[in-house]
Amino acid sequence: MIKKLSLLLSALIFSVAVLAVDNHYVLGVDGLACPFCAYGIEKRLNKIEGVTDVQVDVGESVVHVSMREGKTLTEDRASQAVDEAGFTLRSFSEAEGETGGNDAQ
Amino acid sequence: MRSNRPLAGVSVLIGALLLTGVSWVQAAPNTFNTALPVAEGQYLWREQLVLRERSDNGPMDREVSVQALGSVLGYGVTSRFAVFGMVPYFFNKELDVTTPMGRIERDTSGFGDVSLFGRYTLYKKDETGNTFRVAPVFGLTAPTGDDSDSDRFGELPRPLQAGDGAWDGFAGVVTTYQTLQYQVEGQLLYRENGRHDGFARGDETRFDASLQYRIWPRSMKGMPGTPAFVYALLESNVIHRERDETGSGTDADSGGGQWLLAPGLQYVSRSWIVEGTVQLPVAEHPNGDAIEDDYIVRVGFRRNF
Repeated sequence: MIKKLSLLLSALIFSVAVLAVDNHYVLGVDGLACPFCAYGIEKRLNKIEGVTDVQVDVGESVVHVSMREGKTLTEDRASQAVDEAGFTLRSFSEAEGETGGNDAQ
Repeated sequence: MRSNRPLAGVSVLIGALLLTGVSWVQAAPNTFNTALPVAEGQYLWREQLVLRERSDNGPMDREVSVQALGSVLGYGVTSRFAVFGMVPYFFNKELDVTTPMGRIERDTSGFGDVSLFGRYTLYKKDETGNTFRVAPVFGLTAPTGDDSDSDRFGELPRPLQAGDGAWDGFAGVVTTYQTLQYQVEGQLLYRENGRHDGFARGDETRFDASLQYRIWPRSMKGMPGTPAFVYALLESNVIHRERDETGSGTDADSGGGQWLLAPGLQYVSRSWIVEGTVQLPVAEHPNGDAIEDDYIVRVGFRRNF
């Protein structure tokens, strides 16, 4: 009985986690070459409704963006935000899983 | 001396600019501007403490000591156009000079002249891990500082006042090439100083250049995210100042040319920059007995928000 209950609980937790998964995007950004400049990109992207997290990888010139469940980021909106920060969007891709995918050149 | 009146002569002889020399803008070099972007809606706040010592080789053995704080607030109107406001505060601006009455000390303190200026990114070329930008700058300095302070000897010499009493204008162009490893900047700037109450500081033309080289982290390999950088920097300032205008003529012992080199260090994170440099004269060609710089120390921080 306890074993069945544990199994049921595990399945329930797993299904909720799958349903609640965020959308992740990887943005290639040209012109980004120092930490102080990264702040402007974070600020502009964080203004987009539904964005829950922005991680800038300066060395790779990419930005990982997480969106709340049910929210999506379009390439045009991402390009606008990067442009408002003073940089140039090089590439845009939707990533698989939590950590995002590779930069899609 | 152009006059037998010692104190009036001191006014005239001070000659060379006693401006704080607070460098105005946001990122990159410590002694001048940059063309790097300010994001739309982003603010930049900068404080820079300036300690400047100056002296001359003339018979009056003048020594000038300035301790000032330059406060700058910048705002990104668009990604290409940013505006900045700068106000200097002089903790002390002091002149020691030998007169027929002996060695005397004169000083003042208070807010100086406020500068407002804009910078527009005319050209940019972004590539992966680097950027090249060209941005004209243009602005005005308003006569907000006290230009009529006095002490027991009378009104202070005009160059010693916290403000010059006149509207000044400046314009120039700054260019930046930045990579993950290093950054090169250049600036050409002209400042035309206005005239007030019979006095005008000499107009100024300057060419500035800087090299910043990332010394930490040594390599970006295996460095995810946005690690803080430490840059070693070397800046160069070549400055030519015309003679000050006094009455209907010019002060023969003012203005001239100088070349300063400034080694320094800069810690740069996402939101903060902490920096320090020492500007040292490499070559000075003062007009007559104009005052020359001995050294200028600049330490400060910048904050993004």
